[in-house]
Amino acid sequence: MWKFIIRRLIITFPQLIVLSVLIFLMAQAMPGDALTGQVDPNVSPAIKEQLREKLGLNDPWHIKYADWVGGVVQGDFGDSFRFKMPVTDLLEQRIINSFWLAVVTLIFTYIIAVPLGLLSGRYNDTILDSSITGYTYIGFATPLFIFALIMLWIFGYQLGWFPTSGSVSPGLEPGSLEYIISKFNHLLLPAISMALIQTVSTVQYLRSEIVDTKQKEFIVTARAKGASEARVYNKHILRNSLLPIAAFFGYEITMLITGTIFVEQIFGYPGMGQLFLESINLRDYSVVNAIVLLFGSAAILGALLSDIILSIIDPRIRIK
Amino acid sequence: MKKASFSKWLLALMLVLLLVLAACSGDSDEDTGDSGATEDEGTEAETEEEDPAEDGLYSIDDFEVDKMNAGEAIEGGTLNYGLVSDTVFEGILNRVFYEGNPDFEVLKFFDEDLLAIDNNFNYTQDGAAQWELTENEDGTVTVTISIRDNVNWHDGEPVKAEDLAFAYEVIGSPEYTGLRSYYIEDVVGMTEYNAGEADTISGLEIEDEKTLNITFNTANPSLLASGIWASPMPKHIFQDMDIADMPESDEVRVNPIGFGPFKVETITPGESVTYTANEDYWQGAPKLDGITLKVVDPTVVAQALETGEIDLVDSFPTDQFPDVEEKLTNVEFLGKIDEAYTYIGFKLGNWVPNDPENPEGAGEVVPDPDAKMADVNLRRAMWYAVDNDSVGEQFYNGLRWAGTTLIIPAFPDYYDDTVEAPSYDLDEANRILDEAGYEDVDGDGIRENPEGEELTIGFASMSGGDTAEPIANYYIQAWAKAGLKVELVDGRLMEFNSFYDRVEADDDAIDIYQGAWGTGTDVDQNGLYGRTAAYNYSRYASEENDELLAAGASPESMDIEYRKDIYKQWQELMVEEIPVFPTLYRSKLVSANERVTDYSIQPSWNEKWHEVGVTQEEPVLP
Repeated sequence: MWKFIIRRLIITFPQLIVLSVLIFLMAQAMPGDALTGQVDPNVSPAIKEQLREKLGLNDPWHIKYADWVGGVVQGDFGDSFRFKMPVTDLLEQRIINSFWLAVVTLIFTYIIAVPLGLLSGRYNDTILDSSITGYTYIGFATPLFIFALIMLWIFGYQLGWFPTSGSVSPGLEPGSLEYIISKFNHLLLPAISMALIQTVSTVQYLRSEIVDTKQKEFIVTARAKGASEARVYNKHILRNSLLPIAAFFGYEITMLITGTIFVEQIFGYPGMGQLFLESINLRDYSVVNAIVLLFGSAAILGALLSDIILSIIDPRIRIK
Repeated sequence: MKKASFSKWLLALMLVLLLVLAACSGDSDEDTGDSGATEDEGTEAETEEEDPAEDGLYSIDDFEVDKMNAGEAIEGGTLNYGLVSDTVFEGILNRVFYEGNPDFEVLKFFDEDLLAIDNNFNYTQDGAAQWELTENEDGTVTVTISIRDNVNWHDGEPVKAEDLAFAYEVIGSPEYTGLRSYYIEDVVGMTEYNAGEADTISGLEIEDEKTLNITFNTANPSLLASGIWASPMPKHIFQDMDIADMPESDEVRVNPIGFGPFKVETITPGESVTYTANEDYWQGAPKLDGITLKVVDPTVVAQALETGEIDLVDSFPTDQFPDVEEKLTNVEFLGKIDEAYTYIGFKLGNWVPNDPENPEGAGEVVPDPDAKMADVNLRRAMWYAVDNDSVGEQFYNGLRWAGTTLIIPAFPDYYDDTVEAPSYDLDEANRILDEAGYEDVDGDGIRENPEGEELTIGFASMSGGDTAEPIANYYIQAWAKAGLKVELVDGRLMEFNSFYDRVEADDDAIDIYQGAWGTGTDVDQNGLYGRTAAYNYSRYASEENDELLAAGASPESMDIEYRKDIYKQWQELMVEEIPVFPTLYRSKLVSANERVTDYSIQPSWNEKWHEVGVTQEEPVLP
């Protein structure tokens, strides 16, 4: 078991290195840099050139890469050109917001997915099942950013149940109970919007697992032994069907990260996703690099986590 | 099973990628932080107005610039201010260091410029400081800035001459990485100071606690047109700090101070700021108890106004105006001519750097007489061939309209409406082309050049917004009607950064391009159309142009009448020579809840936020 985990961990290192090189090269290949957008007659190209020199934007890529990696290893991602502050401080501000958004979304995702998947699988081919499946198809087909806008319009503006932008009401004392409640209140609507769309794959997955498991011989055996229907479902079927879902968990985290990019933009929720989009548009490379590296690491670690969970619950698939 | 899950993820991944692509293309062009005089992509739509004409068209003339007062202002009250932006504010809350416009919107409530301006952006004596200009015998000029006695920082310290001098020292320092150097580079002794050869700036002289003399090398009329750096920095707070550390310090980001009508109370980074009234404000205590500012995404600003969540915005997206103006009965729309214009430029030469090793350094424009667009008749015909008023009506509901000269009506003193600029006349375009020898010799419906060779014009235009593509296509079709074959470079629109990279590099594929400029607050055109201006993207230069631009920036032009005359001549020259032609002037809309009083969007209002009040505690609802 430990051997597997360690072996799996060792593989992630080259993955991370390849990822970092790729990120760096791709960022360099984007046309323009942080100063290209400053098309201002008062700021002459000569001044911009001096600034580029000062900021090291003119060095060849391998030198920049070496500088960057040297910093990253020590936890220093450089300074953001746009925010004029260390990227680590900037990320720290944002990552907390994104983290809580992701956690709440994840909880909602499972709260929705597990009962729906169970019902749908248990009563498959009934009207209930068709409507749940219908919902999942619609969910698959709906772009998250449109759905989020509609949710915002209905629940935020028409009904006024939720705040419509930001991560907290202006003017509250950080740390106070009011502040925490306000924070939670602000992330409810984005989290629900995201969960409603994100959950559909899990519902589908769970449903087909259950339908599949229902036919298995050990279920027939359990029924033959006279186990009650409830016992068959809760003990035998659910347990076995949840295995792959658990394994999904790691990937789910990756999905969440990509999802938050749009949701944060729409809800004006200052998290990593919003920062990421803005930084790309404004060519704030140090921030883009840091975020892609974080996102990439999260994806790699998510996959690792999934593999580990899977290997714990299903010894057959451990890598030899 | 394993396989099934893989393909499912592949599908999901592709979906995600699709969304990423869709989203990226959606807002890649949105604002790139224009702080006054920056370039502006000129692609997002704009609209606005109060009483729609029957055809659904609006005109900027129908808008007021001052808010109508719906009643007496109450004592106190809190104003909810919406900062409309699809990016957060960076939080660099200091005039010396900020770069993005969102930061300026946050700054303006708690810190102000010492000098006030009029509607032509010329300085007046009504600000927190008064000024006097003396022309010295050696050709230098000295500006004396006298700060009023009752102007104090929020912490109670008086605003002193040394605070203003300190700002010059910070900007002039070699450690400074911001973009404000152009304000101060002409101060006597600045070069030596910047190079580290002098410890002080010889052109600055602190006369007494409240009076600073600043001496400039040349008497440039731009100085009096908002060209003096007049934002002090509290020296007692920053003096012991390294300049490189200032932008990230708490004194800039967390608890900044100024001497404006409101004090910063709390800042939630990137999303909101709360302010309280500064009772000690030099023009008197504000009417409001406080202001709450928050960032509002442009997609939801109309809803936020309707529900009263925000009372006032810094700018209302004009493309949404026709859809919401009837619904937003609780809101008054104000409008003015925006300080920007869209134009089409013709590539007439190249940028030749003085030092070939350093292509982005100093250099000058060298016109190429053999350039494809070198014939002014061709350029004039292309201007006649496009109907910009229709473009404004079709795409912007009349909230943009055909431009005539390169000095826009936002400068009422300088804009010359008597200049006869070409306007849409297809017959005239055809006539000019026929006369100039652009004839269709091979009968394919496309004109050849006078030498009888095929003429294909490469057109560069930026992507972004819903209107970029249809407008570019319209122009291409309009020119096709005059028999000219114009094609998009690479067959598609360009992303913002590549567009400027290629236009700046004088890419051979680009013969004409569509761009936009923010005009800033000074009519001096040297930075955009001068011979040594790298931003002179059309690479046009002529002796007459050099003379007029030099005259406009000469000491004689300190006389406004003389300067007006010079720029009238220049506007005429540009209509004759047509290195570029303005396509659209724009309007800028601001919306305010009915309860807001004494608000205005005129430059001469000078951000007098202490006068703004509300007529009732709660926002007016529809």
